Amino acid sequence: MNPSERIDAACSFLLQSPPGEINDVLNDVRNIISDDDSLHEGVLPALKEYNLTQFMTVDVPGSDHQAIISEAARVAATQEGQERFIDPRSKTSFLFDHLSLEASDSQPAEPDADSEPFRAALEKAALTYLSAHFHDGVAAVFAAKDSTNKFTLQVVANKYNPANYWAGRWRSEYTIDLNENTVRGKILVNVHYYEQGNVQLSTSHNVSLSLPTAVVTASPSASTSKILALIEDEEGKYQTSLNDTYQEMGEKTFKGLRRALPVTKQKIDWDRALGPYKLGQELASSKGMFGNS
Amino acid sequence: MADLVDSMLDLMRRLPPTRTEENVTALIGICPDYADDLLGSVDQPLKLKTDRTTGKDYLACDYNRDGESHRSPWSNEYDPPLEDGTIPTAKLRKLEIAANEAFDTYREMYFEGGASSVYLWDLDDGGFAGVVLLKKTMTPTAPHEPSGSWDSIHVFETAERGRQAHYKLTSTVMLQLVTHKGSNGENEGWKGEGEVSLSGSMTRQTEQDWPILDQSSHITNTGRMVEEMEIKMRNLLQEVYFGKTRDIVYDLRSVDDLEKARRQRELQKELVGFIKR
Repeated sequence: MNPSERIDAACSFLLQSPPGEINDVLNDVRNIISDDDSLHEGVLPALKEYNLTQFMTVDVPGSDHQAIISEAARVAATQEGQERFIDPRSKTSFLFDHLSLEASDSQPAEPDADSEPFRAALEKAALTYLSAHFHDGVAAVFAAKDSTNKFTLQVVANKYNPANYWAGRWRSEYTIDLNENTVRGKILVNVHYYEQGNVQLSTSHNVSLSLPTAVVTASPSASTSKILALIEDEEGKYQTSLNDTYQEMGEKTFKGLRRALPVTKQKIDWDRALGPYKLGQELASSKGMFGNS
Repeated sequence: MADLVDSMLDLMRRLPPTRTEENVTALIGICPDYADDLLGSVDQPLKLKTDRTTGKDYLACDYNRDGESHRSPWSNEYDPPLEDGTIPTAKLRKLEIAANEAFDTYREMYFEGGASSVYLWDLDDGGFAGVVLLKKTMTPTAPHEPSGSWDSIHVFETAERGRQAHYKLTSTVMLQLVTHKGSNGENEGWKGEGEVSLSGSMTRQTEQDWPILDQSSHITNTGRMVEEMEIKMRNLLQEVYFGKTRDIVYDLRSVDDLEKARRQRELQKELVGFIKR
């Protein structure tokens, strides 16, 4: 492999990293590639892609809440090529280090006056929803860069428990479009359990809801409460349906691959499986051939 | 550089089991000198091949490989053909034929399809070793049917001690289950679609002593050990490992309203305090 193929392979490993294990994967990759200089430069785009798609959370400087690093949070790069991320909740933007996962150089970020009332109401409803259903979640609401009637709502919840060999991440993202009266989005769940093994759950679920006109024309606070009630219902139904899926996988799919026991409900009679009538004689004649030599 | 291999194994323990082949190939590309260490320690999904002579399916892995060719347990021939490919001694081959028949019965009773292969080889110290391979793949015939695969690799070594034999068995199971959900929702307004993928790999070892009456005892003994081990591992995967991943989903999100529960607990505390007063 030439150096650039090695970096490509390293990037692919990083992008497959389970929740909360990016540093472990990075350590392994550093050891394997053993060329820190080219690695550092080379994998930075992959680390950035990972952070954005996985909704990495970050402590917002000067506030007591966390923000989400994502495409929706990304502000167009400045002339110096520095990329900033916005936290609409604190009305600030900051620089983000994709390796150390730290925010710095916080600056005020004025929201768009037309979209802010609805965005702020959606954020308030989202935070209420978050504390009702997520144990350790972060939510963020962004006004679209190109429309005052479009919003992105993101939720991420992580639990990392390396001492007990497991980690999990729930991500959901919705685009609320008040021109088309729709909510479209997806829920993604990733779980890794690796105590004496490597077991991974990976789910994706697309959501598409239409909003009644009454919801869209109501006041921002009434409208956003209703939107979050719809999302709450959808996510709750999805989570419950996962139970059914587990049951179906256990009872049907798993059984279709390998039964727990044969149809006879008894273990194999190995003496019969050996086919003594077919092979007994042959084997009897070779008796003792291997042993006692 | 033992710690380089450790890093590779740690990496394989973290990356998705569904992408093992691709990742092992990449690692070998980066560190070709460690190919043998890696291939010797990381099990990969088995390849299905068809015996040209008998038309029967068999499984290819490192244990029946010589150069670029694989030996079929049914015809004992290599594909692509090899002039001087390694084959078991005539005595061991006899046992290998019987073992393949016995595990073919086992395969039919537990897997109701799929393929199995057993390969045996002599050890320098007079004993012998072998591998039992089983594979089943479920391919959906319609878009929303589930799919999946089971691969198991059981490597054993045996040494005879008088009328007893000592067996060391190392078993790996690789499993993948995928459920596709369509938008043909059963409830009004439930227009979800998506996919749920559960995958896993695990390895376990056991050492046991069993009596031997004659050579065929090795087949019944390893047969019982493999059967016991597969039952144990299948149960672990379904009850422990898959159950755990579902519990973790509930550690992330609660279906019930956590705020309501909190308020209820506070109310209860107040009531208890009130009664005590």
